Amino acid sequence: MAAVTLKNVVKRFGVFEVVHGADIDINDGEFVVFVGPSGCGKSTLLRMIAGLEDISGGEIAIGGKLVNDVEPADRGIAMVFQSYALYPHMTVEQNLSFGLRMTGNAKADTDRRVKRAAEILRITELMKRRPRQLSGGQRQRVAIGRAIVREPQVFLFDEPLSNLDAELRVQMRVEISRLHKELGVTMIYVTHDQTEAMTLADRIVVLNGGDIEQIGAPLDLYDDPANRFVAGFVGSPKMNFLAAKVVGADGGAAIVELANHGGARLRKPLADVPPAAGTDVVLGVRPEHFFDAGQGDCDIAVKADVAEHLGSVSYVYANAGANAGANIGANTGQEELIIEREASRHRANGDHLVVSIKAGRSLLFDTTGARIR
Amino acid sequence: MSSHPPARRSHSRARLGRSIALHLFLTPLALIWLFPLWMMAVFSTMPDNGIFSPGIEMLPHGNFLANFNNLQRDTNFVGAIGISVSVAVTYTFLSVLLTSMAGWALARYQFFGKGMVVAIILGTITLPYAVVLIPQFIMVARDFKLANTWVALIVPPLFNSLGVLFMRQSFSMMPGDLFDAARVEGVKEWRIFLFVALPLARPMLAALAIILFLASWNNYLWPLLINSRPGSMTAPVALGTLIGLTKVSWGGIMAGAVLLTAPMLVVFVLLQRHFVAGIAAGAIK
Amino acid sequence: MRHQNATAYRFLAPYLLIFAIFWVWPIIDSFMISFQATRTVPWRFAPGFNWGRLIGDPAFFNALKNTLLILVIQVPVMISLAIVMAVLLNSPLLKARGLFRFAFFAPVVVGEVAYSAVFRLMFNLNFGIINKLLNSVGLPSVDWFSNVTPAMAVIMIAVTWRWAGYNAIILLAGLQSIPEDVYEAATLDRVSKLKQFFYITLPLLKPIILFCAVLSIIGTMQLFTEPFLITERGGPGGGTETLGLLLYRQGFRSLNFGYASAIAYTMAGLAIAISLVQIWLTREPK
Repeated sequence: MAAVTLKNVVKRFGVFEVVHGADIDINDGEFVVFVGPSGCGKSTLLRMIAGLEDISGGEIAIGGKLVNDVEPADRGIAMVFQSYALYPHMTVEQNLSFGLRMTGNAKADTDRRVKRAAEILRITELMKRRPRQLSGGQRQRVAIGRAIVREPQVFLFDEPLSNLDAELRVQMRVEISRLHKELGVTMIYVTHDQTEAMTLADRIVVLNGGDIEQIGAPLDLYDDPANRFVAGFVGSPKMNFLAAKVVGADGGAAIVELANHGGARLRKPLADVPPAAGTDVVLGVRPEHFFDAGQGDCDIAVKADVAEHLGSVSYVYANAGANAGANIGANTGQEELIIEREASRHRANGDHLVVSIKAGRSLLFDTTGARIR
Repeated sequence: MSSHPPARRSHSRARLGRSIALHLFLTPLALIWLFPLWMMAVFSTMPDNGIFSPGIEMLPHGNFLANFNNLQRDTNFVGAIGISVSVAVTYTFLSVLLTSMAGWALARYQFFGKGMVVAIILGTITLPYAVVLIPQFIMVARDFKLANTWVALIVPPLFNSLGVLFMRQSFSMMPGDLFDAARVEGVKEWRIFLFVALPLARPMLAALAIILFLASWNNYLWPLLINSRPGSMTAPVALGTLIGLTKVSWGGIMAGAVLLTAPMLVVFVLLQRHFVAGIAAGAIK
Repeated sequence: MRHQNATAYRFLAPYLLIFAIFWVWPIIDSFMISFQATRTVPWRFAPGFNWGRLIGDPAFFNALKNTLLILVIQVPVMISLAIVMAVLLNSPLLKARGLFRFAFFAPVVVGEVAYSAVFRLMFNLNFGIINKLLNSVGLPSVDWFSNVTPAMAVIMIAVTWRWAGYNAIILLAGLQSIPEDVYEAATLDRVSKLKQFFYITLPLLKPIILFCAVLSIIGTMQLFTEPFLITERGGPGGGTETLGLLLYRQGFRSLNFGYASAIAYTMAGLAIAISLVQIWLTREPK
């Protein structure tokens, strides 16, 4: 059993509080990713779980046992560092066995564990090399191998892929996923890259400025973000946020007028009581949720500024004023929109296009960033 | 050659001119700088009556061994060299150990009083050594009654804080993840220091050791004061007592000077990189 | 990082113990001794005894004058020479770089006693190689050690020879930390090599030059071995007596610890003043 429980965990550096009371329950065998922009406290949280940072307040339990005052080595964890932290003066084999040798583990057992880790990660032929003779991907494997050798109950990863090039990153991502299935142990993974979070996690913890914004399964965060921050952080390219104003109500739906699109209006059904008329709101629309003219509930005209063609899809950046047709709100050039178009290769500078927003494919936020459901 | 544009040719001609000027200036300067060392070697091989003769002698003779015997007659130089070597080796080992441990603590731990320790070290580093000379002497000679012992030569100079700052700098430039990785694996702090930090600091330790050894080997004032009894003198002090005596073999003194200098020159040539690193590091504070 | 008081102090303790006993305490003790009359047993507290004597002691002012004279002449000459050495050693045009480096850096490893002996012999009146070389080009011999001015010159020459290379090493390291592309950009802008030296190298090197200057000033201020051995205890007639030598004479020949401590603290005061000037000169422009 190695569930990890954080109860109201606080971290202060002097008077400066960087984590403000984090509550997280991680189940045994779960893959949890802490994600957030740099400085959000995700690495600090991980290092507190590892025991490399003091806990200023609250409790951390691993496998049901309170570990606040337990040495890192006795917490049943292993950690993979961003910089790999391989000892440059030791061979791969010595790197893998160093911790066990230093803590008096029986030699036969050490050899067995090292051999097993090397086989799992397919680095057996590299055992006599030193870190500087290895490629980035190989170093990463050795770093993970060093964690496996400890046969921990919980694996901690601190941005392990951020030093790799794009192709290798995808490859190692799959590898880590495979490893999780093979070993079946709890893994906690810190990254600033939402793609990594989405692809690896059973559940994602989104952090911002030392606060937990939301905890949930990847697609839940995508479909049903708790607030504007999560909505903006999850998904790539980012969600568009359109300034808007509630102009009326219509039987459980709010009538929303887009501020920068020539008075275009959208009827947005809500579960809660709609905000009063005159309330400023923000409408969130993902780039992939713009539809062809007439297909949605509200059409807007935009002028393409730049178009990026990736082959399967194109991204149109629209921030110039557009010509308004009849009944169509036109972009006034105050707001840049990113619009995903499938297989549309002819869109380029200065083109005008009309896209449509669906009420069911958009999210409403108040001006503080909270969801209006 | 005619295909080269003319600008290019005048450029390389200017380079050649500059190169010649550079060597014409630097060569005589280098010869002047080598001259005292060369003369030291020459004097050490000349008989005394050769040194004190009117002719200009600038090439070595074959009298080194006779000069050395004169030196050994004037003072027990072999014994003094033995003391100097033992003291320098012990001092270097102890000082490297103490200062790297202290540098490690200052670089890698957060602890109560850290700022104050650093402030005291930095704040007093430019004070002249002369300030502590009198109290040190009174303490070691009168209070501890350690005059004319090895302890007196080795222990007081261990206060030198340059090594602490140098090692602190070296350790804090290493990636912290390396030590955290070992910590997570349950490796004890002193083993992390010994088996991870020190091996990584090998080039810095070498530089520090060389500088400390040289300082101890050449140290003159403190050994002169504290170990003045014949038989407990270091080699520089023993040699110093001869300078200024009226009936003394100058060939012998020069042989002693060569014996003090030559090993250091060999070390310098072999380990120049570390030497230069050690001295240059004094500027990185 | 975790707070680890016990671990940290276990690593620090051995050094701190030595540091406290042989450095921090003596600094305080020396200050206190300077206020005591130490020629009586037991010592007695007499605040004006040593400091009062210092102010009226012509020997002290002679030593102070000599020390400052050496400082004012020798340090600038040596630092300029060290800058020239460093810049030229750093030139990409230089051949046999290793030999030149050896020539200038070798004195760094030579002990004070060894080189004092050689200089004493080289500048000997009748048989010294320097006078012989002067004679060989038709110049008269100089009685180096019987007159104050040439004796001072010998001291300054010796110190410069011994320490110029040391400073050049530090300056060279500073030069090599200046990025090459700064010079490439200047060359493309048709800035001459000489102008590059004055407008790029010197300004960028300024903090290191100051550091070398302070190091040299504090070193020269304590000058002891050279006047002790080369000019025979500060001769002729106290003409090359320095503060270091006076301290030695008072402290360890006359065993007048109180007075010697007052002299030592005069040196410390000068050192502190010079360090403050350095800090002021290297302050970040507002």
